[in-house]
Amino acid sequence: MSYGQNEQLRMGFLTSIEDAERGFVGGLLVTNRFGRPLEFHCTAPVKPNRAQTILYGPTLRPFVLSELIGRTLIDKIGVKPHLVLLEFGEILGLRQHVPIPVGCLVEEAAAAGAVCIGKFWIETNLEYPEDRTEIEKFSKSIPAEANLIEPFDRVREALDETLRLGAVRIA
Amino acid sequence: MTDGSLRILDEMATRSNSRLTDGVVPGPHWTQDSECVSLASLLDDVPTLQVPISLTAQIYSSGMNVALRRWPSLETNTVSAPKPPTLLPAWKPTRPKVTTFGITFPEGASFLPVKNAAGNVSAEVGSVAEGEELSSLVTICPVSLMDVESLAAAKKKITRIKPPADALSIEDRLFYLLQPPLQSWLAGQELIMPFEPFPYQYEGIGWLFSKSAALLADEMGLGKTMQTITAIRLLLRSGQLRRVLLVCPKPLLPNWQREFHAWAEEIPFVVVEGDTDRRRLTWTMPGVPVLIANYESLVRDFASFKDGEFPKFDLVVLDEAQRIKNRESRTAVTARALPRRRSWALTGTPIENRPEELAALYEYLGVVPPNATPDLRQLQYLAKQCILRRTKDLVMKDMPPRLDRDAHLDLLPAQRIAYETAEKDGVIHLNELGDQITVQHVFELVLRLKQITNFDPLTGESAKLDRLDADMEEIAASGGKAILFSQWTKVLDWLAKPMAKYGALSYHGGIPNKKREPILQQFKEDPNSHIILMSYGTGAVGLNLQFAGYVFLFDRWWNPAIEDQAINRAHRIGCKSQVIVTRFISNDTIEERIDKILTEKRQLFAAILGDGDNTNKALSLNASEIFGLFDMKARHGKGTRTIGPQ
Repeated sequence: MSYGQNEQLRMGFLTSIEDAERGFVGGLLVTNRFGRPLEFHCTAPVKPNRAQTILYGPTLRPFVLSELIGRTLIDKIGVKPHLVLLEFGEILGLRQHVPIPVGCLVEEAAAAGAVCIGKFWIETNLEYPEDRTEIEKFSKSIPAEANLIEPFDRVREALDETLRLGAVRIA
Repeated sequence: MTDGSLRILDEMATRSNSRLTDGVVPGPHWTQDSECVSLASLLDDVPTLQVPISLTAQIYSSGMNVALRRWPSLETNTVSAPKPPTLLPAWKPTRPKVTTFGITFPEGASFLPVKNAAGNVSAEVGSVAEGEELSSLVTICPVSLMDVESLAAAKKKITRIKPPADALSIEDRLFYLLQPPLQSWLAGQELIMPFEPFPYQYEGIGWLFSKSAALLADEMGLGKTMQTITAIRLLLRSGQLRRVLLVCPKPLLPNWQREFHAWAEEIPFVVVEGDTDRRRLTWTMPGVPVLIANYESLVRDFASFKDGEFPKFDLVVLDEAQRIKNRESRTAVTARALPRRRSWALTGTPIENRPEELAALYEYLGVVPPNATPDLRQLQYLAKQCILRRTKDLVMKDMPPRLDRDAHLDLLPAQRIAYETAEKDGVIHLNELGDQITVQHVFELVLRLKQITNFDPLTGESAKLDRLDADMEEIAASGGKAILFSQWTKVLDWLAKPMAKYGALSYHGGIPNKKREPILQQFKEDPNSHIILMSYGTGAVGLNLQFAGYVFLFDRWWNPAIEDQAINRAHRIGCKSQVIVTRFISNDTIEERIDKILTEKRQLFAAILGDGDNTNKALSLNASEIFGLFDMKARHGKGTRTIGPQ
């Protein structure tokens, strides 16, 4: 595959909001390297049932966010990102379910395998050392002053809006 | 029966007969043979007759014959024995199905995987091929337009595009919500700008971006042009617009071209000009994102197209939109008839005289039905929806101040005599007209008197010129530059001679369009050129002369909004020092009376509408006020009565 004008870096920003009544709602925004939106997908609220809550215990949240929400969104989205960024390190396990490098924004390079992009450090899943190399390559085409946190605000705002308007029904 | 079977019967009968013929008839098996009766004796008593049989028998094929010989086929099934009961739970975890919802942005459509003929999605577009070298990506050298010291600081500054109130569908609302902050968008490598916009300009750009009907009514000098161009640029880049028409007054064409070069260097535009054939070709030229036309050629060319043939536009922008304030005018009718999806209007003076002017603009924007006459409350409601207006006082607190000083001058003796004579004769003439008098008659007298206050036509004496000369001497000595405005080209021509020693340049309607831009350039660059003489009509709008520190209003315009427009050529964004504005007002003349009325009106409206909106309705003089400038009376019986419109 060649990287022509249309094949410039595309980044995915995956995050979720939690509603006490309705459960988790996840959203994935795919942007170009300048942060301009290309596609957005969000899930209907996912509320774990009683059995899941008991059986998964503390692993429930990573399970819902990565296996259910993250995996589904990456499967469903049409414009596939080259890299998916997360806000929470606990769902780095998502990498096991998707064929795309996954990184999580961290405050500093304390974590092993963290890669620097501009002002940000990105932690990768240690089981996939090749991701680190891939992300290092991507970092060349991301503007140094890019704010990689800001798109998550947009996703959360969009998720609030979809919940407010009841755009998607509870699964 | 067959012959064979008959033969068997016959044989059996023969055997029986043989025993019978032996003379013994066999008795029952439990009896002894001896007891048998002789058969012959019995047969003798029975007459017999032999009958030949001619019948035959056949076997017909019914299909069953073969089937009867076939072995039946057997199948076996294994039936598992029932499981023994267990105590383990039979629950199996299942992955709940998660439903999703999504939108694809225009820019993203080209990245969607293409389905091949068999309906299968082609190789995953998003994945990076093994061994692929990302070094083939263009190395980016970002143009940092925003000095982001810290993300926290950047967060405070961001301007997000909000969904418009009329965007109801979730897709539309998400489209706006998911756009990046304007600051980061503009700081991207795709959009290079000469300098970073001010925060209020970001707001204006974001506001325009999301509006399909918008009236940007910022005060003059706040950068309406730049905000409009940048919003158009963003809309073009985000794929929401393909074809834009920008209509402006003819003198402003060079200004818009210059601004487009400065603020959207990558966007090609074409100016509609030349002869009829060339203009027609330009209108229909495909692939031009931005067309710039003046009002006159638009009206003319629109009429030359047949119904429905005029090209369609995604956006039509009217600059100096007060041009369509009269909704019956050809310009207004044409503007409303333009086939378009979005309508924007730009003006620093949305209302010059009457609220109806605003209604005409609303009609163009498509927010009121044709010929609607919205009341004041409706106008206010629509203003909140469609109008964005900021004043310099509010948004440019750090801008150098504008110092207004009124120069009250006494007419020179010859001027005074000429003035009083003209006024006296004029009033007498008006009174003689009686009820036939119209506002036009009064207007003519006012103009004549105003001209005399500028200079005496006979002697050439002028108190204003004397004062101007004194001021200019000082300005030229300090290397400053001044703009002088007058209502009349004739006055400007007359001033050109005495002002020649200060390198005076003229810029008015009489100057051909091609020569105007070089004149402005010369005024800016030539150190010996200290003053430019401009007419209100040509120089008051759209020009950027912020390098000039002095403005002279040689005579007064009827509407202070126009005077403000003129002053704001110099007092606008980018001006480095204070701007001193001098209004020449001749004592005890019509000018003083006009000034008094205009000042009172300005104060009145400032009190009603607040300081934020200091340009508004009815600032200029209406007919009754013009009549009121003179003590107009008509003969009425033995006495007189005051005349003039109510």
